[in-house]
Amino acid sequence: MATTTATITLSSADLLSDNLSLSATTTLNKGGTTATGLDQFRMERFILAPGTGQVDLIEATTAASEDANYVYICNKNTDPTHYVVVSIYDVVIGRLYAGDWMFMPWDADVVALGAGGSAIEVEAEVADITLEYCLFHNGETKTASDDS
Amino acid sequence: MATTTATITLSSSDITDNALSISNTATLTTAGTDTGITETTGLARVKTNSGSNTLLLDFGLTGGVAQDITADKSAKVYIKNVNDRGDGTKFVNILIKTREIGRLYGGDWMLIPYSGGDGEDIEYTASDTTETTLEYCVFYE
Repeated sequence: MATTTATITLSSADLLSDNLSLSATTTLNKGGTTATGLDQFRMERFILAPGTGQVDLIEATTAASEDANYVYICNKNTDPTHYVVVSIYDVVIGRLYAGDWMFMPWDADVVALGAGGSAIEVEAEVADITLEYCLFHNGETKTASDDS
Repeated sequence: MATTTATITLSSSDITDNALSISNTATLTTAGTDTGITETTGLARVKTNSGSNTLLLDFGLTGGVAQDITADKSAKVYIKNVNDRGDGTKFVNILIKTREIGRLYGGDWMLIPYSGGDGEDIEYTASDTTETTLEYCVFYE
């Protein structure tokens, strides 16, 4: 097992009448375990062109279904008008603008929704978007190669 | 305008052969601008003993903590399950428009952009009926 931690710090000196300072750390563990860390992940950086509609960023697989999986996505563009729409199938989560990142658990619910039904999808708007993502997961179902 | 930052650090010394360290800071701005977001719910805490879908953010001011989020902008939602992890079998499912997004186990947190819109409520469902406590904060325009 591995030990992977995710820490967030939210801070502002002027959003409220007093300082906002919030910090939280969690260890990315397998579901149904006390402290067994997730030990599989993948990371990718790519350029997503606009006009292609929604594309699958991460497809759900049976091995990861209804378990503890975590997804980090970052829009690496710098023009503030550039954004991607992040969805789970037909449900829009939100718009990730240039410089924004998100981190969320992912159910990957193949059982109830099928592989496509819980896929994480992205759609570039305005311009080419450079995206980075990292998936920490509890397994992937690999398909046989064409020449196997 | 306000300056609010969100920093994430993902780190592991043993998930790969070499140490993994990802760190990023986002400044929370209004949609398509460099202007800082100026509205927030502040940090709030809710509890439930229900194992059924429970409303966390009701888009459209019809219940829960009053929200005034403009749809399709640059809102961000932070949610944390503040329960202990226990044996790892208890979790909270987070849903948008009744679609399961993912499971927050005890101690887990998430930060997502939030488009809102008609029916795009955020709900949560605890995996059992023992008391579950969540903290959340919304930044919006």
